[in-house]
Amino acid sequence: MNWLPVVALLAGFLVFYFVPLELPSDYAPYLSLATLSGLDSILGGIRAGIEGKFHVDVFISGFIFNTLLAALLAYLGDQIGVDLFLAAVVTLGGRMFLNLSLIRRYYLTQWSISRQRDTERT
Amino acid sequence: MNLNVFLSSIRNNSWVMPVTVMALVLGALLAISLKTQQSIRSTSLPSNRFSGLAAAYRDQQEQIKLANEEIRKLRERTTQYENEMASASEKAKLLNQSLQEAKFLAGLTEVRGPGVEVILQDSKKRPPANSPIDIENYIVHDSDLQRVVNELHAAGAEAVSINGQRIIANTAIRCVGPTVQVNGIALSSPYVIAAIGDPDTLVSALNLPQGVLTDIQAIDPGMVKVVKKNEIIILAYTGSLVFRYAKPVGTTPGSSSQGEENVSQ
Repeated sequence: MNWLPVVALLAGFLVFYFVPLELPSDYAPYLSLATLSGLDSILGGIRAGIEGKFHVDVFISGFIFNTLLAALLAYLGDQIGVDLFLAAVVTLGGRMFLNLSLIRRYYLTQWSISRQRDTERT
Repeated sequence: MNLNVFLSSIRNNSWVMPVTVMALVLGALLAISLKTQQSIRSTSLPSNRFSGLAAAYRDQQEQIKLANEEIRKLRERTTQYENEMASASEKAKLLNQSLQEAKFLAGLTEVRGPGVEVILQDSKKRPPANSPIDIENYIVHDSDLQRVVNELHAAGAEAVSINGQRIIANTAIRCVGPTVQVNGIALSSPYVIAAIGDPDTLVSALNLPQGVLTDIQAIDPGMVKVVKKNEIIILAYTGSLVFRYAKPVGTTPGSSSQGEENVSQ
């Protein structure tokens, strides 16, 4: 059940990779930021799910809000000549590492528990 | 079982479905993003280098402008020297007079006088849907400029320039991509064609029925503007004057008469 998001990610990627849809290159920086923010939201969602603190409304609103905020920052930065999108990149990137480490720890713990059970049974 | 505080929530899988849906969206975003970046890389420069390149381009333009200014000044000084040398003797004076006339004709001097300004610019309109008229007709082409310049010369224009580029004997007006090159310099719309001559004659020549401007005006009258001027200054030609193949007839092959302003008769 927990591998479903990975399958969905692959499915979405493959479908849209072969659909001839392309955005004008002017929007490329915003799209990249949206992607980054989406990745952050997914990892955050998985972490919250693991910790049992998952709320659908928080998750979806976070996804939309972060994406918009990141794009807005990039736009504002373009207008005033400061690379403001770096703020989004650093924040989101840092949080992704944090969330990934927590997720990794959870699955590692689970794995060691199941191994312990196996050894107890024998 | 004090090993893990997380274990209590394993069975609670309510998060999997929303995350799955969002993962689908993220996959789509990733794919589009990747494709867009790939196409940018294959067709154009990375967008994060635009600002640097723009600055470099601006610098280069600035330097070209400075260099042209210097060429103009140096040529002016040459004229001064020529005039000063001419004051020495009557012969030199006569020689210098014909030299100055030749330079005037060649477009090597800045000139002023009455004339007209013809402003040609790309139309802001677009052809109506299903119109048989091609969008190409809404853009000013090199051929339009050539025809206007030709008409002006035919009507007696003595000096002509396009956006400050002096039209001289071997000036080429040609289309390069979205710009028009005159004397090898890229120009873009609006094109200001300045011509010195009798303003009335020039304007009536341009406005002849079925004349050079008729076709353009039929598409969009806003593309053409003709203004009479009491005084126009037309800049000198600042391009190269080096002739590599042509040599004046009558000079012995040994004595290379390759000087820039060699106009001996």
